[in-house]
Formats: sequence, C-alpha cells, structure tokens
Amino acid sequence: MDINNILEEINSIFRRELDEDDIEIKYETVAKDVDGWDSLSQIHLVVSIEKHFKIRFTASEIQKFKNVGEMCEVILAKVNNA
Amino acid sequence: MDFVEGQIFNTSFNVTENVYNSFLNAFNDRNILHTDMDYAKSKGFKSKVMHGNILGGFLSYFIGQALPVENVIIQNQYIKYSKPFYLNDTLNFRAEITHIFESINSIEFKYVFKNTEEQKIASGTILIGII
Repeated sequence: MDINNILEEINSIFRRELDEDDIEIKYETVAKDVDGWDSLSQIHLVVSIEKHFKIRFTASEIQKFKNVGEMCEVILAKVNNA
Repeated sequence: MDFVEGQIFNTSFNVTENVYNSFLNAFNDRNILHTDMDYAKSKGFKSKVMHGNILGGFLSYFIGQALPVENVIIQNQYIKYSKPFYLNDTLNFRAEITHIFESINSIEFKYVFKNTEEQKIASGTILIGII
C-alpha cells in the first residue's frame, strides 16, 4: 500500500461520510476546502478512518495534521507497522 | 477517561402507561397499530405495538443519566428492531463499550434491548463524545 492507495480510500470515506459523491480529496486538501467538513463531521470521519484502516490516532496527531496528506502519511506509517 | 473497552452496563426500563401516553402526547403518532388493540391483534400482534422510538428515549436516559459522567453528547445512534414490544413490558438493556476513540474523546457502545423472555427487541450502536 502506498500514499495514493491511502488517498483513494480516504476519498471513498469522505464521500460516504459527507454524503457527497463529487468530493475530490487531494494531498493538500484542508477542512475549509470541503463543504460539510465541520467539527461534527470530522468526528465521523475520524471514526470511519480509524475503523477502516484498523489504526488509532492520538489526540496530538489529529491536532498536528496540516492537511489530508499529512494524515495519509501517518495512516501509511501505522498500516505498514501493523 | 473513566471508561475501558469491554466495559458493560446493565439496566432495565419499564414501558409504562406514562411512557406510552407521554410519547403519544409529545409526538402525536396515533397510528392504529399503536392505539387500537383489536387492529393490532388482527395483524398478528399480541396487543397494541409500542412506538419503536420510545427506545430512543430510553437510550437518551442511558447516555444522559446512567453513565458515570455527565459531560456527554450523542454523536450518532443506530437501531435495528427485531421484535415488537408492548405496554407494561420490562426491557432489559445491556450496553458494552466496543471502541474508545482517544483521538477525538469519543466512545462507541453496542447495545441490546431484550424482553423478560430473553427475546431481542432491538440492538444497535451509539457513539458519544465526552465534552
């Protein structure tokens, strides 16, 4: 699995959780770029992402992510170390 | 967080006249399945079928009042109905913590309601946040 695979799966999760088929999440995407990505939907996104990849983020990891790409890098590291 | 995965909570709820009438008066769902015993029996039920969403009220009580913390908010809730329940039934409720999301301070429970004959009435999951 590489970062593009992660990003592809993240796109599916975002589309499902935000109920929006046209969302295109890129490495540099941030919350303000996506309609409907608010504090409550972020909770559902994190729940889905942790369950999907069978990983657990820490609170400090979540706070440090500057964009989706940084989150994908952490996911990739966790998946590869599992 | 005062919770651990696998932690189990048990309680019971009584479907009293007060619960039933309060739900009827609050939401005005007077569908004949809920209000006409003869009709309900003609459809194969034991008696008037209670509103499934009464269980939502019991879930609200469990989250808001029965947990050992008060600073909680429901973030999502799913329910699957398996069997009808009736006036004056006692429903035994069991909830288990299935996942603690430390990153977002959220807790997921799976739960089940059973009647006193051990029949599953409904089950589902609830995600709550500790605020």
